[in-house]
Amino acid sequence: MNARAPSRQPRNHRSGPAPPSLRSNLLVLAALLVLLGLSAGSALIPMGAFNEVANLGIAAMKALLVLVFFMRLKSDSALLRLVAGTGFAWLALLIALSLADLLSRQNLLPPW
Amino acid sequence: MNASAGHLREQFDDSVQQREASTLGMWTFLATEVLFFGVLFAGYAFCRVIFPDAFAEASRHTDMLLGTLETAVLLSSSCAAALAVREVQLGGRRVATWLLLITAALGIAFLAMHGLEYVAEYREGLIPGIRYTQHGPHAASMQLFFCLYYFITGFHGLHVSIGVGLLLAMAWRTHRGAFDQDYHTPLELTALYWHLVDIVWIFVYPLIYLVGRAA
Repeated sequence: MNARAPSRQPRNHRSGPAPPSLRSNLLVLAALLVLLGLSAGSALIPMGAFNEVANLGIAAMKALLVLVFFMRLKSDSALLRLVAGTGFAWLALLIALSLADLLSRQNLLPPW
Repeated sequence: MNASAGHLREQFDDSVQQREASTLGMWTFLATEVLFFGVLFAGYAFCRVIFPDAFAEASRHTDMLLGTLETAVLLSSSCAAALAVREVQLGGRRVATWLLLITAALGIAFLAMHGLEYVAEYREGLIPGIRYTQHGPHAASMQLFFCLYYFITGFHGLHVSIGVGLLLAMAWRTHRGAFDQDYHTPLELTALYWHLVDIVWIFVYPLIYLVGRAA
């Protein structure tokens, strides 16, 4: 037993994420393909600004499915969820601050 | 004696710790990849806010049917990669090898379809600086869309090519019996890389192919 982590399961290599069921993986693929169809279909219906919300919302859902199930963030260690979340959080900061600058900046006339 | 015994490096207590270190390292790398592509997406967001109509018109020049097919192919390949890791964890070497070969083949199919798109765009004169024959009020600012398009899809294609190479190497090693239930970290990490390439494309699809389709 390992002294540093007495509450862990026995430390062999199988203590990583357990293999998912075949059914769950195929269900995720089916969900991804349905979302792809929804995304293509909704893009053809005029909804104004809501088109973009639908496009990006569906993309985020698809990405989340891949992250949680195919990349096993659900079953693997919490540290990996943290690292993955950090990457996307920095990206959100980058885009949010760039757009905040662009959308709020006013052209100041020089005083002379 | 199992496959993991020969792979334990001396700085690690045991193979679990080694696996944790490897996956943590891979996820850190993937976070930098998110930012690598993120810069291009941030540039896209910036330009699109300034030129919304040009981006909508430029997007209508892309091939939505091929783009949708490419997305479906990449999503399926991700599932095949996930199933390959699962199969190795359950001890099925032969099926896993085939699943990895299928994943690589789907990746190659994706690259071929994207090649067709590039050829069509060259013919249509949509490549700024090389062959750009567009006219009209938005022609100048549409070039921004196409520059971003070639940078994003070009770097993504490069990642897919690297992924195909890695997948083929993993298929070979799986076939040779290098991985079993107790040791398959390189395979797991390759699958993670492949899934991230898939995630990048999940966002490329609506931003490149679906803008202004309803208008």
